[in-house]
Amino acid sequence: MMDHEGRIVGINPAAERAFGISDDEARGREMAEVLIPPTMRGAHRHGLARLVAGGEPQILDRRIEVTAQRADGTLVPVELTITRAAVDGPPLFVGYLRDIGDRIEAEEALRRSRLQLLRATDEARRRLERDLHDGAQQRLVGLALTLRLARGQVERDPAAAVELLDEAQEDLASATDELRELARGLHPAVLTDGGLAPALRGLVARLPLEVSVAGVPEGRLPIDVESTAYFVVAEGLTNIVRYAGTQRAQVEFELSDGSLAIEVRDFGRGGADPDAGTGLRGLQARVAMHEGKLALTSPPGRGTTMRVEVPCAS
Amino acid sequence: MEPVPRTVLIVDDHAGFRRQARRALEADGYQVVGEAPNGAAGIQAAAELEPDVVLLDVHLPDGSGFDIVSRMLAGSVVLISTHDRQDYADLIRRSGARGFLAKDQLCGATLEALVAEG
Repeated sequence: MMDHEGRIVGINPAAERAFGISDDEARGREMAEVLIPPTMRGAHRHGLARLVAGGEPQILDRRIEVTAQRADGTLVPVELTITRAAVDGPPLFVGYLRDIGDRIEAEEALRRSRLQLLRATDEARRRLERDLHDGAQQRLVGLALTLRLARGQVERDPAAAVELLDEAQEDLASATDELRELARGLHPAVLTDGGLAPALRGLVARLPLEVSVAGVPEGRLPIDVESTAYFVVAEGLTNIVRYAGTQRAQVEFELSDGSLAIEVRDFGRGGADPDAGTGLRGLQARVAMHEGKLALTSPPGRGTTMRVEVPCAS
Repeated sequence: MEPVPRTVLIVDDHAGFRRQARRALEADGYQVVGEAPNGAAGIQAAAELEPDVVLLDVHLPDGSGFDIVSRMLAGSVVLISTHDRQDYADLIRRSGARGFLAKDQLCGATLEALVAEG
């Protein structure tokens, strides 16, 4: 509560706690000096003068976001509403403050995770373009050249034409395989059609690893949860193949009330760096969008465990 | 009448393509005198071999084909790519290259059409 000269008339216990100053210490002092950061004091004093002189009534009774100052000088973002107390005589102002530090932090975190997801998406698209360009497209170019040659040889040298056509058939088979693999990497059809269990069976069959899988949820889960779970396992197992120096891996699911936990574990090299690798960054972005958690534990020499938890409406 | 261009240098980082391009061009009477997997090696090879034509890939590991056209000592430089002409429009004209060929269109006839112009 503040009088028309900007002096603190009183503060309540909640304000005492929020600002680290007692009602006794605050009373009688100019509020601008006590609760307002130095850079904003001038504006406050001007504003108050105008208010008292009858102007700027629009500043009253509205929620304003400002930065206030604690007794120890630290700044705190607050939401402020000023009302005019209904008393006779010179105006008296009551300020209602709410510490919004948490909300601001949450907004920051959301903004960061959106940016992270955008970057991960762009990276994935670039990788796809590269994979298509270096793989399937090159093969098809080769195929075009071989077929043109074969065509040119059909009358001149039929035997040579036959050889070239055989070559073309092999190249075409390779190109088809590569495209199939690419499509699986993007989003396996079996995951959409059959869910996690068959998709994971197919994934594990294609990897040079002995994988024990436990706890796969029976029945379907929301599509985005199934996708994330699949890619967590795919990325985790791929990294084990690449870096862990071991051929055994464990995958465990735990579906509890409102949450799906996935663990991919190996007992190989360890020492994995969570900041390295675009695949892991992409996963982190996905998990962040679920508002889930991703934890990588990888003591050198003692193997790696990746644990992801995503909220899951059952 | 100008003699038909005969010697070709292929500058492309995909060994498979270099092999198939060589086969296609040799079947049509061209003489492939050299191959290079990147821009630096390509520039050096062109200086040594002085080919009539250089086939220069737009995407090289050490830079863009467009940028090194002017440093290629050769009769004609033809830019090649798996992407097609429409993706590059202006860049081809400004690079100083003789022209552009999509890789899957490469054969003696198409190459001849480009380098025999003017």
